[in-house]
Amino acid sequence: MKIQKNLFFVFLIAALLVQVPTSKADVGPTYAIINCKIVPVTSPAIEKGVIIIRNGLIESLGPKEKVAIPEDAEIIEAEGLIAYPGLISAHTSLFLEPPKEEPPTPMIVPTETQEVKKGMNSDLFAFKLLKPKKSTIESYQRIGVTTVLVAPERGIFAGQSVLLNLNGEKAEAMIIKNPVALHINFATERQAYPSSLMGTMALLKQSFLDADYYSLCQAQFAKAPNGIKRLEYDPFLEALLPYAKEKKPIIFTCNNLEDIKRALRLIDKFKLNALLSGANEAWRVADILKKTKIPLLVTLNFKPPFTSIYINQGEELKEKAEKEIYPANTSNLYKEGIKFALTSYGLTEASSILKNIQSAVKAGLPKEEAIKALTINPAQFLGVNQILGSLEPGKIANVILTSGEVFEEKTQVEKVFVDGILFKIEKPPKEAKPSALNIAGSWKATISGPMGEMEMTVEIEQEGNEIRGFISSSFGKWEIRDGVLSGNDLSFTLAATIMGETMEMNFSGKAEKDTIEGTIAFAGGKAELRATRVPKGTN
Amino acid sequence: MIGSLIFIFIISLGVLPGFSKGADLLIKNGIILTVTKGTLPKGDILILGGIIKQIGENIQAPQGVKVIDASGKYVVPGIIDSHTHIALTGTNESGAAITSEVDMREVLNAEDPSIYNALTGGATMVHTMHGSANPIGGQNITLKLKWGKTSEDMIVPEALRTLKFALGENAKQANMPSLTAARRYPMSRMGVNAIIRRELLKAKNYMQQWDRYLEAKKSKKPPKNLIPPRKDLRMEALAELLRGKMVARCHGYRADEILEFVKLSKELGFKIACFEHASEAFKIAKELAAEGIGISVFLDSWAYKVEASEGIAYNAAYCAQKGILVSINSDGGERMRHLFNDAAKAMKYGGLSEEEALKLITINPAIQLGVDKIVGSLEVGKHGDVAIFNEHPLSAYTRCEMTIIEGETYFDRAQYLKEREEMEKRLKDQKKKGEI
Repeated sequence: MKIQKNLFFVFLIAALLVQVPTSKADVGPTYAIINCKIVPVTSPAIEKGVIIIRNGLIESLGPKEKVAIPEDAEIIEAEGLIAYPGLISAHTSLFLEPPKEEPPTPMIVPTETQEVKKGMNSDLFAFKLLKPKKSTIESYQRIGVTTVLVAPERGIFAGQSVLLNLNGEKAEAMIIKNPVALHINFATERQAYPSSLMGTMALLKQSFLDADYYSLCQAQFAKAPNGIKRLEYDPFLEALLPYAKEKKPIIFTCNNLEDIKRALRLIDKFKLNALLSGANEAWRVADILKKTKIPLLVTLNFKPPFTSIYINQGEELKEKAEKEIYPANTSNLYKEGIKFALTSYGLTEASSILKNIQSAVKAGLPKEEAIKALTINPAQFLGVNQILGSLEPGKIANVILTSGEVFEEKTQVEKVFVDGILFKIEKPPKEAKPSALNIAGSWKATISGPMGEMEMTVEIEQEGNEIRGFISSSFGKWEIRDGVLSGNDLSFTLAATIMGETMEMNFSGKAEKDTIEGTIAFAGGKAELRATRVPKGTN
Repeated sequence: MIGSLIFIFIISLGVLPGFSKGADLLIKNGIILTVTKGTLPKGDILILGGIIKQIGENIQAPQGVKVIDASGKYVVPGIIDSHTHIALTGTNESGAAITSEVDMREVLNAEDPSIYNALTGGATMVHTMHGSANPIGGQNITLKLKWGKTSEDMIVPEALRTLKFALGENAKQANMPSLTAARRYPMSRMGVNAIIRRELLKAKNYMQQWDRYLEAKKSKKPPKNLIPPRKDLRMEALAELLRGKMVARCHGYRADEILEFVKLSKELGFKIACFEHASEAFKIAKELAAEGIGISVFLDSWAYKVEASEGIAYNAAYCAQKGILVSINSDGGERMRHLFNDAAKAMKYGGLSEEEALKLITINPAIQLGVDKIVGSLEVGKHGDVAIFNEHPLSAYTRCEMTIIEGETYFDRAQYLKEREEMEKRLKDQKKKGEI
């Protein structure tokens, strides 16, 4: 058994080391999109026009008669279609593999008042955590979104965001701008300081004061270090300085109207360059927002916050709030003449993003404003309007071709160009059948490959069709991710960690009440997995 | 169902932005209990621009002023709750034992339904506070219960700035046993005392550092590498306390720890405005009266904790009679709706007079909060904060009918019941038509 285990081990290591050759970025073909209606957003619509894409950029566009089609162009016939700029969601948390969560340390505070501070991730970069997933990219392209801002989610100082073009799965190729902004949440920590919202506010104020002090001491020290005791290096403050002192943009996520006021107080006190995100109650403080003219990244997630006066006065009002009052946020802002962008912050399914855009329009937001809020407005707010946000020569070739007017019920996105790369949009994958089978529980599994067998225990959790859990073996605990049980078809991804290296293996097979059988595939080979349920009551 | 009925009334008030300049109102023919200037068996109160301009008989209503007929009803000053935790998003910053840097002003919640509930009990002003989990908690805030207005509109700028302290079981986390987590210092009463002394001494040191820096900066030849000390919000708040810009409001039950804290305040030089709960205050009434320190207590509630086991129902009345400034508080949203019942109990337990009992929930808490010049009694020149009851407020049968703040009606029972009736009818009709 021991020899077999070691061979198995070696086999897995070898698989890890297999390099998959990466292809260099190619210069894509030149395209001529012809005969479509063009909605550039920043200029009047063109009834029948031509767009020339070369080298990932829009080379030219205009009415059919006025634009010459280059000889080397691949013709994309777009009769009956409408071309819009690719949509931008200016706040998401897609593709983020959060860093390993430390288990909450029990507060150990001997005698000194030195609280365990948490949530101070100013130096966490979103682009370091990116794991782009093909299915997510496709689902966003399907609704016409080509560009997303990805920001870390957890913590008070959540981290620094990155702007991505959804052009594939290679993170580096997707990055348009990095970092974009520092994200701050009015969140609290557990079993640490600050555990209350007022603690968070004190921490935020103290942090900006400390950034000032840190920079002052650094300047003094740099000028004439002799005679001055150096200040201890602080990575948190180092990362905060560009935002506190050089006024790089900070994005505050505001979940209710008091959060908006809290943010505005901080912005005023420390003279910050800031944007507000979330802002689902922005209409309730429209008068204040009108005066400050602060850029708003308004979420399409219209959920009333728990503090809201509308949700603790009975079911009727709560429903009205969820269905009518809060979805009218953006149309109210529009009526007040307040400029905003729309984001998908808080929404996980791409389909609900489209649904919520439609309900915002139904609640009174003019369609043209919704389009602007998803194209040129976010581009301007994020400082990338010279290269994104509209169909203009010289801008990045992010173009979506729709079968009808955008956001309409029947309209489909047919083709999407991101960075000038053409993506054909396919029908969404079949909805997984709700499963009557429940495979939650403990299982004993054997993985057998060319190099032998290994025994492991499996713990499965099931929620509807979603499968989660762990596989434990002498190598440790491996996480089961993205598991789907559709009828009897089971598939999941296994994050196998061996000696610090993580490798993804994909399982696909069949599950019955007490047995699971299938194949695990990984780079370099595959193995069979058979599992039987451990009856309850036994060890 | 009822919730949605409340909503109609609440929405009719709206969540309007903007500040209130105070309204005009004439209350006629009521039995006016001024609390400080006796009783008018049948009188009028004229409020203009939110301020009481006239109290007397047969006052004529100026043009356009709304008139309320209070015939047979009792008109009293709006009730003031000196210790509660409503209208806040968060109560305790338990991540550290000393958290003077936190300010409850940052977490106001104007949408807390407890605000409206308090209005139904005749309350018009509250001192809403950080909790008692820490030896030194945070900075508290005094609000008027202007339901429907913004949180900023509710803040009372004239009120004393107060800092929450806590002694005893809560501060040493005696009732939060944890088998796994390591516990936080302090875990004993002596630890609580020691940590407060230590932090205040640190604050004194902090103040000295800043004084030295400022002097050096002002001097004719300031030193070459002069850098100010680091600004520390926690120390700044304690410095404000030591400079007399803030007063201490200290949660404590036992006589021994209360006296120790008084000693501490004299040693370090800060003012205690009031002890909260103080079940054993009656044991040290002489000392507290001599120090001029008030207490804010429950009436007939004790023994819910070991440190409250020696409380007595006579505590409030006895201490009041010994010259201590006593107020009755709710410490929450529930008791706030019937503080007048608790005040009445002080007549049974201890024999306070009607007027003395009413003082416990009006002028006394006003003095404790430093707002006795503007509220706490019905006098010309004070704010038009009024509650109207159908019976004497100290009667067991009484109900609050209207609550008025600065001349504006924030609670009207008759109106509310009417709208509820209309709503019920509307729902019944909808049900009949099959719409719901």
